[in-house]
Amino acid sequence: MDRLAPLPTVIPLVAAALAMLAHRSRWLQRTIAHLALTAALSFAVALLVHADREGPAVARLGGWSASIGISYVVDRLSGLLLVVALFTLLAVLVFAEGQRSKGAESPVFHPVYLVLAAGTGAAFSTGDLFHMFVAYEVLLIASYVLLTLDGTPAQVRTGTTYAVVNTIESLVLVMAVALVYASTGTLSMAELPARLAELNDGVRTGLQLLLLVAFGLKAAVFPLFFWLPDSYPAARSPITAVFAGLLTKVGVYSILRTQTLLFADANRTLLLWVAGLTMVVGVLGAIAQNEVKRILSFHIVSQIGYMILGIAIGGPAAIAATIFFLLHQIPIKSSLFLVEGMIEHSTGTSSLDRLSGLVHRSGLLGALFLLPALSLAGIPPFSGFVAKLGIVTSGLAAGERVAVALAIGCSLLTLVSMAKIWLGAFWGPATEPVLRPAGAAPDPSAAWRWPAAMLGSTVAVVLAGLALAVFAGPLYALCERAAADIADVDAYVRTVLRR
Amino acid sequence: MSLALVLLVAALFACGVYSMLHRSLTRIIVGVVLIGNGVNLLIVVAGSRPGRPPIVGALDGATDAIPQALVLTAIVIGFAVQAFLLALAWRSWALDGDDEVEDDLEDRRLAMDRRRQIRIAEAQAREDHARWLVRDASRPSTHELDGRDEIERGDL
Amino acid sequence: MLATALAVASQVPRVLDGEVPSSGWTWVGSLGIDMTFRLDGFAALMALAVSTVGVVVIAYAAAYFRGHPDSARTCRFAAFLCWFAGAMLGLVAADGVWTLFAFWELTSVLSFLLIGLDDTDSANRFAALRALLVTGAGGLALLGGLVCLEQSGADDSTLAQVGLGLVLVGAFTKSAQVPFHFWLPGAMAAPTPVSAYLHSATMVKAGVILIARLAPEFAHLGWWRPVLVAVGGMTMLLGGVAALRRDDAKQSLAFGTVSQLGLLVLLLGFGDPAVTAAGVAMLAAHVVFKCGLFLAVGAVDHATGTRSLTGNSGVGRRLPGLAAAAGLCTLSMIGFPLTFGFAAKESALAALDSAPGGWATIALVVVVVGSVLTAAYSVRLWWGLFGDKPHPPGAPAAHGGVHHVPGLLLTGPVGLFALVSLAAGLLAGPLAGRLTVASEALDRAAHAHLAVWPGWQLPLLLSAAALTGGTAIGVLVVRYPLSAPARTLGESVFARLYSGLLDGARNLTLVTQSGSLPVYVAVVFAVVVGVITAGLALGTGTAWGDTVLADSALQAVVAVLGVAMAVATVAARRRFVSVLLLGGTGQALTVVFLLYGAPDLALTQFMVESLSIVAFLLVLRRLPRQYRPAPSWAPAALRGALSVAVGVVVAWFLISAGSVDRPTDVTEAVNALALDEAGGRNVVNVTLVDFRGVDTLFEITVLGTAALGVANLVAGSRGVARPDPRRMARVGARSMIFDQTTRMVFHLTLLLSLYVTLRGHNAPGGGFAGGLIAGSAFVFRVLAGGPEGAHRARYRMPPIALIATGILLAAGSGVVALAAGDEFLETAIWDLHLPVLGDVHFPTASVFDIGVYALVIGVVILVLGNLAARGDATARVPAGDGA
Repeated sequence: MDRLAPLPTVIPLVAAALAMLAHRSRWLQRTIAHLALTAALSFAVALLVHADREGPAVARLGGWSASIGISYVVDRLSGLLLVVALFTLLAVLVFAEGQRSKGAESPVFHPVYLVLAAGTGAAFSTGDLFHMFVAYEVLLIASYVLLTLDGTPAQVRTGTTYAVVNTIESLVLVMAVALVYASTGTLSMAELPARLAELNDGVRTGLQLLLLVAFGLKAAVFPLFFWLPDSYPAARSPITAVFAGLLTKVGVYSILRTQTLLFADANRTLLLWVAGLTMVVGVLGAIAQNEVKRILSFHIVSQIGYMILGIAIGGPAAIAATIFFLLHQIPIKSSLFLVEGMIEHSTGTSSLDRLSGLVHRSGLLGALFLLPALSLAGIPPFSGFVAKLGIVTSGLAAGERVAVALAIGCSLLTLVSMAKIWLGAFWGPATEPVLRPAGAAPDPSAAWRWPAAMLGSTVAVVLAGLALAVFAGPLYALCERAAADIADVDAYVRTVLRR
Repeated sequence: MSLALVLLVAALFACGVYSMLHRSLTRIIVGVVLIGNGVNLLIVVAGSRPGRPPIVGALDGATDAIPQALVLTAIVIGFAVQAFLLALAWRSWALDGDDEVEDDLEDRRLAMDRRRQIRIAEAQAREDHARWLVRDASRPSTHELDGRDEIERGDL
Repeated sequence: MLATALAVASQVPRVLDGEVPSSGWTWVGSLGIDMTFRLDGFAALMALAVSTVGVVVIAYAAAYFRGHPDSARTCRFAAFLCWFAGAMLGLVAADGVWTLFAFWELTSVLSFLLIGLDDTDSANRFAALRALLVTGAGGLALLGGLVCLEQSGADDSTLAQVGLGLVLVGAFTKSAQVPFHFWLPGAMAAPTPVSAYLHSATMVKAGVILIARLAPEFAHLGWWRPVLVAVGGMTMLLGGVAALRRDDAKQSLAFGTVSQLGLLVLLLGFGDPAVTAAGVAMLAAHVVFKCGLFLAVGAVDHATGTRSLTGNSGVGRRLPGLAAAAGLCTLSMIGFPLTFGFAAKESALAALDSAPGGWATIALVVVVVGSVLTAAYSVRLWWGLFGDKPHPPGAPAAHGGVHHVPGLLLTGPVGLFALVSLAAGLLAGPLAGRLTVASEALDRAAHAHLAVWPGWQLPLLLSAAALTGGTAIGVLVVRYPLSAPARTLGESVFARLYSGLLDGARNLTLVTQSGSLPVYVAVVFAVVVGVITAGLALGTGTAWGDTVLADSALQAVVAVLGVAMAVATVAARRRFVSVLLLGGTGQALTVVFLLYGAPDLALTQFMVESLSIVAFLLVLRRLPRQYRPAPSWAPAALRGALSVAVGVVVAWFLISAGSVDRPTDVTEAVNALALDEAGGRNVVNVTLVDFRGVDTLFEITVLGTAALGVANLVAGSRGVARPDPRRMARVGARSMIFDQTTRMVFHLTLLLSLYVTLRGHNAPGGGFAGGLIAGSAFVFRVLAGGPEGAHRARYRMPPIALIATGILLAAGSGVVALAAGDEFLETAIWDLHLPVLGDVHFPTASVFDIGVYALVIGVVILVLGNLAARGDATARVPAGDGA
């Protein structure tokens, strides 16, 4: 099993190459993409089970020891994230097939989408700091291309912002990694903890904060979040959905991994502040917006704050809550954006000024939005409630009363903005779609019948979100075991270095 | 460690940052490349001492090979990103004849009085419409290149 | 619904026998979230109320909505109402706190959906929002409180006190206590059956229930009783007064409900057994008569089309039955003898009278005054609905008239509730025993004392006084109506808060989200400067380490040159110049690398710089010659300061981190293993394709992906397959010499590139450098020769295929190893004996290198070929057209 750790990453990569070869046939590309993601997903599940039963799967790529070569380590945390990420990627892919009509389909989409999957997988499973940088580059370049797929003015403008800011992120990251090597002589995340501990406070803290800036920029934490709400809304809805679900979470994962593994006993006060500000500024930004995609984008930021808060609180309980929050966010966020995609598919807009009375058009649409929205706002019995309760309880146990109060207050504001969308878009007199799809069937109700793939995948993701709530018990227990792994740095080192 | 090279790194960073603080995408890319060079040099300077090339057989007094490998990767990635940014500049020229990075519509919109808002909303609507056309199969004339190709066949 | 009611009813006997049926399961054990239910006496009473009232209301609603145009809405109504009933049952029967909380929130959400049932009216939407946010905030307070209570073991710790306070706030919001009461009248936007069911009979009781459950435990706390009496009393009085001032019957009733809820909170929160028992009785009584009255109002509304207390006239004569039934309910509400309300209120007065302590007296006074108001607004309400009034001048004849006689389903329920109120009043004695079971569930010592006729004592006198006084006031108000305020204080405060929130959010976002890229870049770098300084400020030990001025004079010279060119690059006004200078800095780095002992780096840097300059120039062809003047958002000094700061902190960090004497074991291991096990002499190349092969695999993936992106952006999907030679511009004028030379050099270059690639494993070079050489050969051939040149260059294979092959070769060599049972990318070394070449030492990593070679060729062709596209006249597409 150990040797198979890279498969969830390699399969999409090879598939991407095949999809490039098949650039003349959409049908072939589609088949390749679906098969590859399905295969990768099943391997991820297998790896997760293995990690839960027999401990982490460690692959030493090239057969070299972790210190010389690069090793892929899939423990419970990585396994969980791989599974959820690949599931979301697959579901969104199906949605995209349903949404995009043949003519406008670019031959670039499938290969690049698969590259994105590969990059995500690598970022989640690598045990080497520099390779994490490379993985970031892979998923970043893929995201640049996907974001600007249509080359519309909006996409070029926002894509520029996105690409430039994230390029700075890469530069900061690689600089930090280089300095880590310069001061410790290794890049293996298994050897680093001991060697970093020997450094003097100045350099160690400098490295920690620099890595935090790089990953924090990716995770869109205050004050480095501004690029996100500007860039995400311009992309096609499914692409935004997968970005919203995954990319920021990769940043959160990296923060979680590095802060707990490499800098286990560092002071977290700064993170606490960052978390609080991220929550508040994000949710207030959401309230200020008047466009569904932007509201949701700001919510990504605000919710990131909760996870950072969990990391800042520290300790197994909080980390477990954070992991659960992470898992819960990915499908919930994606499903909300997919629903937005359905709205846009039918009305051609996502601006609250021009939407109204959607429930009268389609009650199903309302339900598909309402369920994840309530979950996002942390209303029981949805998964968001469990996640929030976990964070709040552990925070209070750790005596972080202000932060906890802030977290609770923010979920009220989340409720406000969700209600804003509901009142603005779903309630009110039903209006005709602002922009009828050109060449669509003349009868207006046609706009409200979505392709089966779109509807099906959205329903699937929403159901996945609900499943998180139903199986919250065992899942949370798993998260606690994962948190226990993370807390036990020595075990990680021993497993990876075979000591 | 050579102060001269440290100075060069610092200069590359400083100039890069200064260049990135402009609206012209060209200048931003120039800045990115400068900083990228700075980072590459930093990796080498910080990670290894000068010496003979690390070739087996003549390894005594050779430099550390790993930073070099890292830099090679970094250089390539830097080239890739630079190429993409250049394409963005190309595209933004193709769209509005310049490579200035404008402010974000929606953000400006918050700050505007109602009348401007409406005008922007109309602009947005046109953009939405463009998205529709791109997404729509049944109108090939709006499909990506056809318009362009016709003109070309004209001048060949 | 009926089934539910029967199910609950079937349990009641067991409960009366003192059993406590209970069930439940664990949801999230780790957080101690269980879903547990137990049906003790009190829960059974509430469950019975919820289910039976539910049945009646559903039946009533069926008639109420008959012939309603919007059938979809009616369906939504039915669904929501049933779900609500379920949630409410769960709430009353909840055992664990989280069970209670879950259903608590669910009822809030469903009430939101039901209030907004007629969502086409903006007033309704806002009312629903108000209700949701107030109850939602309360719910969060409850959440916080419960967590606090869980965390704090000891009852008297501050944390516990705070938690308890928060829980109370939650209960107050849900039960519409002052100052949170304002959402309830707004909730009357919902159809009457909803108002009757949610906003008088069941949901608003949730807070009362919670308080009733808590009171026996916490009443001993010093602040508990004063707070509860104060809040409950205030609510009762204010609600009563407000009810007198409303013209809309539902509004008046709603405030009546608020007032009654105040009474219930006061009684059940008082924490004295007898009072508690009385409270339970009052609770039951209230459910019955208030629900009846709401339904009566609904019936009148249905019949006359108006709910105005001044508008309706003579309804009583047209609908005597309805009037009588409503009258009975009213009597019960004002506590007229022989009714349920009377018995309950009597016991309450008696209990308060006999309870010890000053607060009991205050409570007693409040209750009496409250009952005066109750009597007043009830009398006014009934008269307003059914009484004859002087015909309002100028009103149409049909004004307030009865269009049609409401059906039995509309009037029947009212009568039913009326009869129950009467029967319960007459059978007060036997009923007391049953209610005792309920009250004992709250407080062991709480025994209900209900009597049809308590005898001449203080309580009776008090309520007699209240009745007479109240009726008098009521009549007066009917004669001289009071004017209602446009909106209550609570409403206006809420509105101000809400708009304030929106504005505040907007203003904050204007600051945090400027939308301007330079600002964003500045912020990021400022943060970088900040964190590095903050980190290094903690002290970096022996910072200077082994720093020297320069390793060699030449190095120093090149470095200074590089600095100069970097500065010049930024200073340049013309794009062309700045880009050339940029290339200069890059080549300075080449020299530095060469001097440093990194020939591979030098080679690659040289190739990349050259190609990137070409790419740059291809784009610059299009752009204006001059840069625009710098933006005005920040003075050059500021930007300069930031830039210098970045440079300084990076240098500082570089020196402090670089001068740590680190362990070199990894380096030594790499050097040692390179030849013996990896089969290569050039350690750098071995590291690239073997030790860290997967890095390279992904690196070339990045390259390929970027190339696809470039092609897609520049030429759309057509450009992806291969740049169309027809569309390539010739750089500069066609020159015979250039053309000829490139044609000659072309094949030589290809050979050179192959050589560089293959020797790479043992000497400087490798697939990447080789690929760059070959790729540029192709492109220059095309650029020089124009279309014909491209034709002669005849690259048959589309670049995208080259890219794909490259990735496949590189990744494939790894997959093969994986399949062969080795680790991914594990190298095997083949020693072949070939006839001509003799012994060939061939590590499979070379396959990897060949993959790199192929990919890079493809990338170069794709990128440069597309950027070279002749777009001057044709590539400009009007903004708005897609890519």
